[in-house]
Amino acid sequence: MDRRDFIKTCGAIAVASFLDTKFFSEALASQEGFLKLYSKAILLKEDGTPLTEKDIAPHREYIFFYPFASTPCYLINLGDEVKGAQLKLNDGQTYLWKGGVGSKKSIVAYSAICSHQWSYPTKDYAFINYYPPDKPSETTKKAGVIQCCAHLTVFDPKAGGKVIEGPAEVPLASILLEEEGGKLYAVGVLGKDQFDAFFENYKTDLRKEYGSTAKAKELVDKCVVMEVGKYVKEIIRC
Amino acid sequence: MSMTRRDLFKLAGVGALTASIPSVGFSAAERVKKAEAILPPSKGSRVVVCGGGWAGLTVAKYLKKENPNIDVVLIEKRPNFFSCPISNEWLAGLVSLDFISHDYNQPASKYGYRFINAVVVGIERDKRRVYTNHGYIEYDYLVLAPGIKYNYDAWFKGDKNMAYYTKVNYPAAFIPGSEHLALKRKVWEFEEGDFVITVPPGAYRCPPASYERAAMIAYVFKKNNVKGRVIILDPKEDIAPKGPGFRAAYEQLYLGIVEYVPKAQIKEVDPVNKVIKTTAGDFKFADANLVPPHQAGELVWMADLIAKDKDGKPTGWADQDPLTFQAKADPRVFLVGDVIGGVPYPKSGHMGNSQGKIVAKIIASRIAGKDIKPTLPDNTCYSMVNGEPQEAIVINVTYDYNDKEKKIVPKPKVINERSESLAKATYEWAKSMYKDMFA
Repeated sequence: MDRRDFIKTCGAIAVASFLDTKFFSEALASQEGFLKLYSKAILLKEDGTPLTEKDIAPHREYIFFYPFASTPCYLINLGDEVKGAQLKLNDGQTYLWKGGVGSKKSIVAYSAICSHQWSYPTKDYAFINYYPPDKPSETTKKAGVIQCCAHLTVFDPKAGGKVIEGPAEVPLASILLEEEGGKLYAVGVLGKDQFDAFFENYKTDLRKEYGSTAKAKELVDKCVVMEVGKYVKEIIRC
Repeated sequence: MSMTRRDLFKLAGVGALTASIPSVGFSAAERVKKAEAILPPSKGSRVVVCGGGWAGLTVAKYLKKENPNIDVVLIEKRPNFFSCPISNEWLAGLVSLDFISHDYNQPASKYGYRFINAVVVGIERDKRRVYTNHGYIEYDYLVLAPGIKYNYDAWFKGDKNMAYYTKVNYPAAFIPGSEHLALKRKVWEFEEGDFVITVPPGAYRCPPASYERAAMIAYVFKKNNVKGRVIILDPKEDIAPKGPGFRAAYEQLYLGIVEYVPKAQIKEVDPVNKVIKTTAGDFKFADANLVPPHQAGELVWMADLIAKDKDGKPTGWADQDPLTFQAKADPRVFLVGDVIGGVPYPKSGHMGNSQGKIVAKIIASRIAGKDIKPTLPDNTCYSMVNGEPQEAIVINVTYDYNDKEKKIVPKPKVINERSESLAKATYEWAKSMYKDMFA
């Protein structure tokens, strides 16, 4: 099967509301190499109980760490159904993003490591953030977007993390979520993740934060989810 | 008794020192008999990048990322990297020298390009050779990214003594290195009087730099209780870019310390008697940051790739294709960073980095026998306007290509309201840029 046939075959299913992870994994990874499955990690509230859909208020920005202990992700309930999308890279390669999860298909998750030059939320600052519809960016005037203030790349969380404008050349990597029995799980990462560059560039910071690079690179099987403002001292918006 | 210029030069022995004004003292043709190849012939394609600033470093790294088999050679005359962006913050003591200094070994070893610490003394495009003080290197493609040079002749009409005197006593500090250290010393030792900053006319490196520098110097004066003023002599009609942001800072933070003088085109610079005559009046100074007009760096002149105006006079900037950065006169040469002309791009570190990625893609695709559609660069520029608390303003510009008019159209976005958040973002921007080029 060539790529075109594959996309045709898979497009109809993939862009539907739910896609079987196993199929997605085997078919897409072998064809495209964009999907990486990691350990299936349950999303938990701060008290340790499972996170449910109702715990995720619309247009709030939540943080959790997946697939490694040190790699931050944002969880956002965009309020309305988020349909799947096909993402196209500059080199012409494409991959499919399945859209939101939850009863309204409105919950999405993305790696919070900027795909441009790897700015990420630390305990001190978050320069990359979600801008809800009622709080547009002062610089780009855009709302309902994820924007990085380091170099002003704007990503679209409603379209698989696609770059709307700015210097980033690839979309934000998205976190594959599954819902089972009312509980939410992270199961993999889709797109061009920036983990290698992240671990390489922030070696010193990660050692300081986690004690060792090995600790920072530990894979997780559960993720505590909290509002970004609780984790980060200062949210930098621009 | 007032001292004449001649007396002063006699005292200082300046006549003997004019050789330190950079120039190529011999032609490439003269050297060719003596010079030997530094490197053996390349098995694959070799790209020689001249200039290890923001643009050159980015081209070198991204060429290797695009295709590790390309033999990439980066030639830079300085042994280490000093960042002009963020140097005003360093000038004000807000960041350490470590923050803006980097070594060339790390990216060279990490990305696998060859770093040669040498001075380019000649370029022979017909032979595809670059001559250095260590010997010559042959190339398949050449990237010229030498940054800027100062045009003191615009002020002193070829009087090298006066140019030298000005350069040493009132350094411009727009080219990395010793000049910045000298300026910092001057600012922190300043006791009283007027400290003049001249903004260059026409295109120049980092358009907001002088305004940011004025704010940072004013911050130091305020902090040190110095009875001094910073006078900005600007040939423009108003501050640009980020005019409202800088103006608000001058009025709200540095009232009586910063004086902005628009429409001050320089008529005469007398560094000996410390007087600058302009179309907005004459200004005496106690000390100064005298910044002459800028031009493309020497290597572009050496390679004879400077654009000419309609009268056949050199514009001072490179003559390159606006989209591909390829020299109009030579498809094997690419011109990138602050040297370029004829496009609405500011000469900035971010812009050099952004162009570098585009040029790397284009050269790699040429080597692979493909042609790609070039993308357009972007620019983000933060300027610190306050030191306590640290506050900054920002401009971001993306570009569209108007195919109908064959024009590159800037789309600027500005935040003129200074904030501590933007100051933090300034450092985040810088850190990630340094990581991109070095880590």
